Amino acid sequence: MSLLQADIGLKQGGFSLEARLEAPGDGITVLFGPSGSGKSTLLAVLAGLKNADRQAVVLDGRDLSRLPPHRRGIGLVFQDARLFPHLSVRRNIEFAGRRATHTAPPIEEVARFFDITALLDRRVRNLSGGEKSRVALARALASRPDFLLLDEPFAALDGARRRAFIQVLIHMHHAWRLPMLVVTHNIDDAAALGSHLVALKEGRVVAAGEFTEASRNPKFQALLDSRDTGAAVRLAHSQHGGHWLRADQVLIAAEQPKAISARNILAGTVQRLTPEPDGVLVELATEAGILLSRLTPEAVAELGLAPQKRAWALVKAHAL
Amino acid sequence: MLSGGELQILATSFWVAANAVLWSLPFAIAAAFALSRPRFPGKLLLDAVAHLPIILPPVLVGFVLLMLMGRRGPVGALLAEAGIQFAFTAKGAALATAVMIFPVFVRSIRLAFEATDRGLFEAAAVLRAGPLDRFFSVALPLAGPGILAGMVMAFATALGEFGAVITFAANIPGKTQTLPLAIYAVLQQPGGEAEAARLAMLSFLLALLGLAAAALLQRRAARE
Repeated sequence: MSLLQADIGLKQGGFSLEARLEAPGDGITVLFGPSGSGKSTLLAVLAGLKNADRQAVVLDGRDLSRLPPHRRGIGLVFQDARLFPHLSVRRNIEFAGRRATHTAPPIEEVARFFDITALLDRRVRNLSGGEKSRVALARALASRPDFLLLDEPFAALDGARRRAFIQVLIHMHHAWRLPMLVVTHNIDDAAALGSHLVALKEGRVVAAGEFTEASRNPKFQALLDSRDTGAAVRLAHSQHGGHWLRADQVLIAAEQPKAISARNILAGTVQRLTPEPDGVLVELATEAGILLSRLTPEAVAELGLAPQKRAWALVKAHAL
Repeated sequence: MLSGGELQILATSFWVAANAVLWSLPFAIAAAFALSRPRFPGKLLLDAVAHLPIILPPVLVGFVLLMLMGRRGPVGALLAEAGIQFAFTAKGAALATAVMIFPVFVRSIRLAFEATDRGLFEAAAVLRAGPLDRFFSVALPLAGPGILAGMVMAFATALGEFGAVITFAANIPGKTQTLPLAIYAVLQQPGGEAEAARLAMLSFLLALLGLAAAALLQRRAARE
């Protein structure tokens, strides 16, 4: 399994990056942070495209720090796809396949996987944003990297296309056993993709580890907009990633609710009550993991909520 | 229509200009690519050397070539042993022209390289393409239309070279006499103005054609 370890130091004008991180090979690591936190810079250093003042990049025990980008075996999918405009879609993918050090998968198979068979002989200039992103993924896969970095490859997509693309990424990760580090600043995407989390703020790692656990770190929650405060939950039918359940989407009942439309009722135990400017955050340990709910102080008092008390969380199904 | 002598002059001009462009091409591409890079040691020096022929008087360029490549020059003597002679030959005219068009050539190719998105080289690098590979498979094809436009421009410029050519290759009808050299020659004879005017018109037409072709190619390159 490819374990990527890095320790990077870099000063650039007023910005400094001091990051030590680990991305395990058996899952998708999300590199999360607000814009300007150094995510893209970090990826560029890992890929060897940018020099750092201090860098140790180790993949599977192999020290890559002194290798040029084309010898590192680290793939990178850019935000803007960067397809070669002088080549057709097919030739773009072949460009990668011909230079792969392991056997590249047949182009027809790759094309079918990413649903771009009909595009193979098109010029890349005429592709839509979503098509470009899929071709960029296909090209990256064809080069058979040992580790794949993705810099918000779905930034240009929205709504259903974005969710579909994320499913393709997860599928790709499993089908080709390709370890990935994905940059995003969108919490829903992060929770959908991530099995591990590295949170970056102003060039420093503020939280890292298994996603559900690391995302509970207050330093991580502080990176989010207060409306996005929440917890990652794993759905029973998904083997990967999960869902970001916002504290404002969870109701709490002190008794087991009956005759109610909410399909998701989870029994649990109150862990902690944290007062905050917008109300009180209730932490409830349930079978789906720890959930957060934001209540008014009056509601907390009325329900008599206190640590170790039994309570029920109600979640509207469409919030999941 | 054109007389036999005029056709001969035209043929010499085209041969000299075409060879000058072809000989200059690889060096111009190499220099242009190097100069399009953001920074490297010696960039300023290379930039200055590449521009030298524009700044120096053409006669001086011809003179330096004569000193170096003449039969008694350090390079010329070596070449003479191998049976190759540049001074006072059509090859010499092409060489002098190649040196003179170099700055214009480098400048237009450099623009083509600078116009290509550097991000594409990074994309190629993370797909395991090394520096040389990136140059041949990404930089060169993307700059291709611009290089072609530069070649046409350089060819048009080459047709007009005078000072360096006449100094290094002399003005030998049927051998080194190109269009501008022929105009100069007929102007030396009394009553040669009419012939000079015909040749000048021809020269003018060729230059216009060259410019139009270069502009067309440049526009196509911009559309790519």
